[in-house]
Amino acid sequence: MKPLRLPPALTPPAIRRLGLADVAILCLLGGAIAAVVAFAREFEAPLRQVVQIDLRPSALPRYTLYSLARGVIALAISYVFALGFGWAAAKSRAAERLLLPMLDILQSIPVLGFLPGLVLGLMSLFPTRNVGLELAAILMIFTAQAWNLALSFYNSLKSLPDPLRDACKVAGWRASRTFWQLEVPAAAQGLVWNGMLSMAGGWFFLMVNEAFRLGDRDFRLPGVGSYMSVALDQGNGPAMALAILAMVAMIVCVDQLLWRPLVVWVEKFRLDETAGGGGGEAPATSWVLEFLRHARLPRRAALLRRQAYRTALRAARPLERPLAIARPVIMRGPRFALAHPVARWVGGSLLVAGVALAAAVGAWHIWLLLRQLGARDWGTLIGSAALTFARVMGAVIVSTAWALPAGIVIGRSPLLARLLQPVIQVVASFPAPMLFPLVVLLFERAGVGLGLGAVALMVLAGQWYILFNVISAVAAIPQQLKDAATAFQLPWRARWRSLYLPAAFPALITGWITAAGGAWNGSIVAEYLEAGGRLRTTAGLGSLISDATAHANFPLLAGGIALMSLMVVGWNRFVWRALADWAQTRFGFAQ
Amino acid sequence: MTPGPLLLEARHVTQRFRLPNGQVIEALRDVSLNVCEQEVVALVGPSGCGKSTLLRLFAGLARPADGSVLYRGRPLKGVLGAAAMVFQSFALLPWFTVSENVAMGLEARGVNGAARRDAVARAINLVGLDGFEQAYPKELSGGMKQRVGFARALAVAPEILLMDEPFGALDPLTAENLRSQVVDLWRDASTGVNTLVVVTHSVEEAVFLAGRIVVFGSHPGHVREELVNPLPYPRQERSPEFDGMVDRLHAILTATLLPEPAPAAPQRLIPFPRVHVSEVTGLLDHLLSRPDGKGHVFELAEDLGVDYDRMSAVVRGAEQLGWVTTPGEVVQLTLVGREVMAMDDSARKDATRARLKKHPLFGRVMAMLVESEGSMEDEEVLADLTIYFPFIPADSLFQTIVEWGRYAEVLDHDATAGRLMLTGAVEGAPDVPAG
Repeated sequence: MKPLRLPPALTPPAIRRLGLADVAILCLLGGAIAAVVAFAREFEAPLRQVVQIDLRPSALPRYTLYSLARGVIALAISYVFALGFGWAAAKSRAAERLLLPMLDILQSIPVLGFLPGLVLGLMSLFPTRNVGLELAAILMIFTAQAWNLALSFYNSLKSLPDPLRDACKVAGWRASRTFWQLEVPAAAQGLVWNGMLSMAGGWFFLMVNEAFRLGDRDFRLPGVGSYMSVALDQGNGPAMALAILAMVAMIVCVDQLLWRPLVVWVEKFRLDETAGGGGGEAPATSWVLEFLRHARLPRRAALLRRQAYRTALRAARPLERPLAIARPVIMRGPRFALAHPVARWVGGSLLVAGVALAAAVGAWHIWLLLRQLGARDWGTLIGSAALTFARVMGAVIVSTAWALPAGIVIGRSPLLARLLQPVIQVVASFPAPMLFPLVVLLFERAGVGLGLGAVALMVLAGQWYILFNVISAVAAIPQQLKDAATAFQLPWRARWRSLYLPAAFPALITGWITAAGGAWNGSIVAEYLEAGGRLRTTAGLGSLISDATAHANFPLLAGGIALMSLMVVGWNRFVWRALADWAQTRFGFAQ
Repeated sequence: MTPGPLLLEARHVTQRFRLPNGQVIEALRDVSLNVCEQEVVALVGPSGCGKSTLLRLFAGLARPADGSVLYRGRPLKGVLGAAAMVFQSFALLPWFTVSENVAMGLEARGVNGAARRDAVARAINLVGLDGFEQAYPKELSGGMKQRVGFARALAVAPEILLMDEPFGALDPLTAENLRSQVVDLWRDASTGVNTLVVVTHSVEEAVFLAGRIVVFGSHPGHVREELVNPLPYPRQERSPEFDGMVDRLHAILTATLLPEPAPAAPQRLIPFPRVHVSEVTGLLDHLLSRPDGKGHVFELAEDLGVDYDRMSAVVRGAEQLGWVTTPGEVVQLTLVGREVMAMDDSARKDATRARLKKHPLFGRVMAMLVESEGSMEDEEVLADLTIYFPFIPADSLFQTIVEWGRYAEVLDHDATAGRLMLTGAVEGAPDVPAG
């Protein structure tokens, strides 16, 4: 007779021999600590005006880890921000009215333009250390990561079923417990998937964030981005190839070691119990998670944590009584402010007034800057804006031309989708600007100037969003509709025209919105870049912004950024949004 | 068991909601209701009559807009700690095991450590889920999930158990089984639960469970009638006394659902129920197959496999078109109804068109359209409907009008432009003048 085996959940957490898995975990842990220490030391290093980037291959792993650390720290800040921001927007109607439009704008404007101000500001705060520069880089990555996370958390809070909330209230849960045990778990899936996107988005400006020129000053941080930019400056081919390789390796590692396990793990927090995607979908797997589940150390760690928690509780017991007495007194103020209608009104008005004041101060400063621009400057600005706009639209059209059919072909076949989706995800996470110089050199050899070449670069920056959206929309077509098309023997042309294209259309528009945003952002590095040791530029709003940055022409920089923000937000509001609404009512599957 | 002292009390409670489109709906108006210790009270009525809203008010999950809710003579502040609640959709946390779900309410009540483990084990044992402690809700069937819901409520040993259609999402067999267990739990003194308030759709369920049945009317929600159910527990379904009680409740509900039309105001605007063309013809078809073309509303509902709420809406629709009459609780196919059923499709459309032109509501919409040269913005029509029927979501009424208008080929709707228009067939003025 076989020995009786208990399911994993029921086995007591007895500690047996350490396994291979545990050794691996210990090594990883050690590595992580070492990286953090090295990073902290780097943080403390006195500011060297020009950091010497070591192009030897042996230095590359260290640089890659520095870059990764910045991305991870920024992501952690993004998560904290998203939880707070999303919660506030979902809980208070006044906050909602203010925060949602803010999010909408923040996620569509080119934040890169704020880098010079940020760097100078933080440098003056920490004049002798690298801290200011590091903080600026992390903040810049943060601005590329935070918004969709916040939006995702807000959306899942808003769509939480009422009975679940009621059940927690009836159970007498405090708001903090409801937050951690209901609201955050319910949002976990969205938070993880969007975290994946955010991480990829954060790499986009890696090169600029780490190696960045303002006037005659050269700000550099050690990292894989600055390694690449030095390699480009020196025209060092092998070093470029190595940097690209290191970047790919990092993305693959992060995907396999962090995101895959997380994606599989958060399946547990799915709210609707029917398997997603209309069934037939194989559950995602992750070898790392399997590995971890078999390891004993995590279980032991959980046990230790629980013990530590109990000890801490016991230690805190003497404090309990004074706290119990003090809490109602301390909480009286906030309680009163929240419960009393007049107090709430006053608080709300103060908040609104504060925001209005901040907005007014900001507007005044922008006005001071913009006032210095002459009529000729404005003429240049508007002319270059028109040029870049044309390029952005060109990039969207070119991307659609290949990504729409490709997305439909991939999305149509579950097998193809399952095989290619992870590959495309990794490819899409690669920061396109790292490839820009190589592409430009290639184009030059073929006799194409940067004026047109920039369109190709902007395609690189935006195409994936279209591909992703189309794939997932086509994969979500109800099986019965596909069966109907087969049963009525629709020829393939009719099948595309009457089923796949309409079904993909709403998602295509979502893809366009993001792709155009990516292209606008990309224009800043695509219209003005160094390749083969030589600066190349072409007229456009992006190159105008880059040029103004390089020459520390702040009025022109402010004008360029303001104009670009205005165009992106305006176009989103008036064109994309209207198109998206129309597509959703006309072609959406929701009845 | 005889009712004890007053436990829960709703005094002149009014509750309003704002719909996403800005329309304010009154869910309850001036409702007063007492619940005493040892009682089982059932709240029944059509959907949208505010019975679930009242239950949430009792639980302290919402505050009334006007009036007050009292527990043992004191106004309720926050969630009612003496109560536990069971939900139609179970409302279990999918990432908690059965044990963790059952333990949800214990910590806030200061039950910790070994006492908590005991309470959880006892509650799980009471509902017969031993062995499933470590299972996740997604591994359980609907009936077992609701057992977890009951265990979670029982674990806190509540004085009052509030249940919002607790068996509504279960198949009939499972529901029946759980229902009798609930009665047993209530009669078992060791559970601590001595008062039940249950919201239900099912007449049999109300008669089986409750000692007092409160019938609600809708638009806005109000108490129509209270009925005392003296049958001794445990109750035997299909016994003559039980069936007699069911019939009485049916009669009261029918009077609520199908009020005799007030003859004084024939031109008064009445809302058309949210029913589809095919449902009404389906009802007529079924009546044709019955002897004398008539049947009891509740028999019809059972035969056709819909709940009585839906059935009565369909009957009201057919009645407004003059195809059935409703003497008492009986639905009778009229002569016109028989004629309509004998027609072919296009003749039936013509007959429907003729009826709609005479119908006060459809007639008014058509008259408005004629006045504005055959076409109007959706918004205008919706605004008009909101003025006349402030208690009914205007959107759904509008959709019903569009569907019937399209069927009868009198109205057409352009969803893209958001316009309602008359089709060419009815250039002439309708028979009912615009009021």
